[in-house]
Amino acid sequence: MTAVLDLRALSVDLPLGGFLTRARLPILCDVSLSVGRGESVALVGESGSGKTTLARAVMGLTPISGGSVFFEGQRVDGDLARLRRNAAMMFQDATASLSPRLTVGYLVTEPFRIHGLPLPDPAATARDLLARVGLPPAIARRYPHELSGGQARRVGVARALALDPRLVVADEPTAGLDVSVQAEVLNLMHDLRAGMGLAYLVITHNLALVRHVADRVVVLYLGRVVEEGPTARIFAAPAHPYTASLIAAEPKPDPRRRRADLAIRGEVPSVLRRPAGCEFHTRCPLVRDLCRSTPPDLVPVGDGRQARCHFADQRQDKQGERHAVDHR
Amino acid sequence: MSALLSVENLSVSYRIPGGRLRALRDVTLSVRRGEVLGIVGESGCGKSTLAAAMIGLLPQGATVEGGAIRLEGEDMRHLSPDRQRGIRGRSVAMVFQDPMTAFNPVLTIGRQVADFTGAHGQRLPQAEIAAMLERVGIPDPARCLGRYPHELSGGMRQRVAIAAALLMRPDVLIADEPTTALDVTMEAQIIHLLRALRADFDGAIVIVTHHLGVIAELCDRVAVMYAGEVVEEAAVDDLFHDPRHPYSRALLACDPAVVIPGTGHLPTIGGRVPDLSVLPAGCAFAARCPLADALCRTSPPRVAGQGRSVLCHRAATQVAP
Ligand SMILES: Nc1ncnc2c1ncn2[C@@H]1O[C@H](COP(=O)(O)OP(=O)(O)O)[C@@H](O)[C@H]1O
Ligand SMILES: Nc1ncnc2c1ncn2[C@@H]1O[C@H](COP(=O)(O)OP(=O)(O)O)[C@@H](O)[C@H]1O
Ligand code: SF4
Ligand code: SF4
Ligand SMILES: [Mg+2]
Ligand SMILES: [Mg+2]
Repeated sequence: MTAVLDLRALSVDLPLGGFLTRARLPILCDVSLSVGRGESVALVGESGSGKTTLARAVMGLTPISGGSVFFEGQRVDGDLARLRRNAAMMFQDATASLSPRLTVGYLVTEPFRIHGLPLPDPAATARDLLARVGLPPAIARRYPHELSGGQARRVGVARALALDPRLVVADEPTAGLDVSVQAEVLNLMHDLRAGMGLAYLVITHNLALVRHVADRVVVLYLGRVVEEGPTARIFAAPAHPYTASLIAAEPKPDPRRRRADLAIRGEVPSVLRRPAGCEFHTRCPLVRDLCRSTPPDLVPVGDGRQARCHFADQRQDKQGERHAVDHR
Repeated sequence: MSALLSVENLSVSYRIPGGRLRALRDVTLSVRRGEVLGIVGESGCGKSTLAAAMIGLLPQGATVEGGAIRLEGEDMRHLSPDRQRGIRGRSVAMVFQDPMTAFNPVLTIGRQVADFTGAHGQRLPQAEIAAMLERVGIPDPARCLGRYPHELSGGMRQRVAIAAALLMRPDVLIADEPTTALDVTMEAQIIHLLRALRADFDGAIVIVTHHLGVIAELCDRVAVMYAGEVVEEAAVDDLFHDPRHPYSRALLACDPAVVIPGTGHLPTIGGRVPDLSVLPAGCAFAARCPLADALCRTSPPRVAGQGRSVLCHRAATQVAP
């Protein structure tokens, strides 16, 4: 079956800025990932890892400098209309992404106007869309600033659903929401997927969200995929030290499980100063000499997973000792 | 040990068009030396208003309708404005969610922190400031002093804000959502930093957050706020392992970080925090509470419980689930 979205060796460079230089800065390097029909894939990584750039490149909002984007088997090549008609973006800051002077009813039906599609009964369409995200019809007359955070997020979802997309790209869909509202948004995403066969590319640094919505996880570091695989396997036994650090850094909602040490120090280095060798070596707790000079490749590590680390294989072997013995 | 900072029966309201919004109602809470107190609850429950009241920095339009705020037993509201200003920053210092808004974008970090210390006592030399920046984990502190706020990441700005607060050698450090704007790794680092500071800082720390993970990792005691009231106060272990108030239970139950994955649907609380300008007659949580009965809808509950306080009619009769 063809994937809904297929990124093949996608690269994005951005101009360095300044008058005298034409130099360009690599932001995304050789990113390949695919999202199957009805599948939910999470893209994770710290701020600055390139998640938003990837979402923008997929939606054609940022030009790509290498590789290609395939939507339902066809290459997206300058012709963005089909992609934008069938894929929708859910923005991180729901309230700010909604134009303040327009009513909710107008906003959720706006995609029809943008794409010049027939809209015989706007009020009825608005009502249906709002109902799908669990909002009462009266909300249609309100303005964005009159909505709570959770309501604004739902309006964002309703708008994304207007044209019956097959893919929703959601950038931090629960950021800044209370846990009670986060749970509602996650349930809504779950229902839409079950009911409409929607596929998601969810961009987040919230691992709790990943565990609940994603079938597969793609971990980005400095614009490169460092690990990729099924969610349950990755959380059970991360193959890449960066993934392991992210999981360990998550605060545990249980005072009896406080962690004493710090899982990961420092911050993502600037894209202006990419470290040599393995780009994670400056923060990696398991760094060895080889890592400082030689960049590792993204290689299969079993279980349908890939990792970009010289020693991922050895760790996987240790984690699945019996497994390894059986196969040798 | 006696309380370092306490609020007693504090009520605060905001003037709003056509009435008043009761942001805090009869809040009693204290923090002792060496302790980390957490304040948790959904947004709009009054956490920031309480934090601002504790440092005597309530915004325009806020009125203290009753109660007292005491620093080592002394009612802060009865002090002269000069003394109050002295206490602010020096005895009680505050760190906010997004330190960017607290910084002036056109001045260097070194200049601003020096100005800040000057405004609250004596202007400290750059060397002393650099030493504190180092203490809070800023690499290359000398270079940091010469930088502008936008040149630092969110995590680094938060560290600078914490350093500036600590330079005042406060007795109480209040942090309002200190990690909310940061990603997991920075959040873990700030939690780690606050834990380390607590070891050699003999004051008290108050952490305001809506993130239960931060409370569990960092606090000794927790106050759960709902609709302007403290509905449960407990030792952190008790709150997470034996929550007594129906709101505390609901809040813990719906946290996606707690719920076992693969369950499809997460529990939700349903409904939302009531409008604080038209509060219901009985318990403010009644409209969302699975245990609400006729009594709850007509008469407000009073604090009950031994060793911990729970604001609920059913606190004594409830059996743990
Ligand atoms: N318009 C731009 N010009 C220059 N650099 C940019 C631009 N947008 C993003 N970047 C840089 O690209 C990197 C990735 O950013 P982003 O995609 O926003 O990451 P994320 O969403 O994971 O936080 C960062 O180092 C950021 O500074
Ligand atoms: N300056 C203000 N004027 C009017 N109402 C306010 C003001 N600040 C906060 N409020 C209201 O007071 C209530 C409590 O707000 P806040 O203390 O910020 O809660 P929290 O920090 O728990 O989100 C909310 O209903 C909020 O809308
Ligand atoms: S290659 Fe080396 S530095 Fe990179 S992640 Fe693996 S162990 Fe760490
Ligand atoms: S007083 Fe009644 S409504 Fe309020 S929390 Fe207790 S049981 Fe629920
Ligand atoms: Mg982003
Ligand atoms: Mg607040």
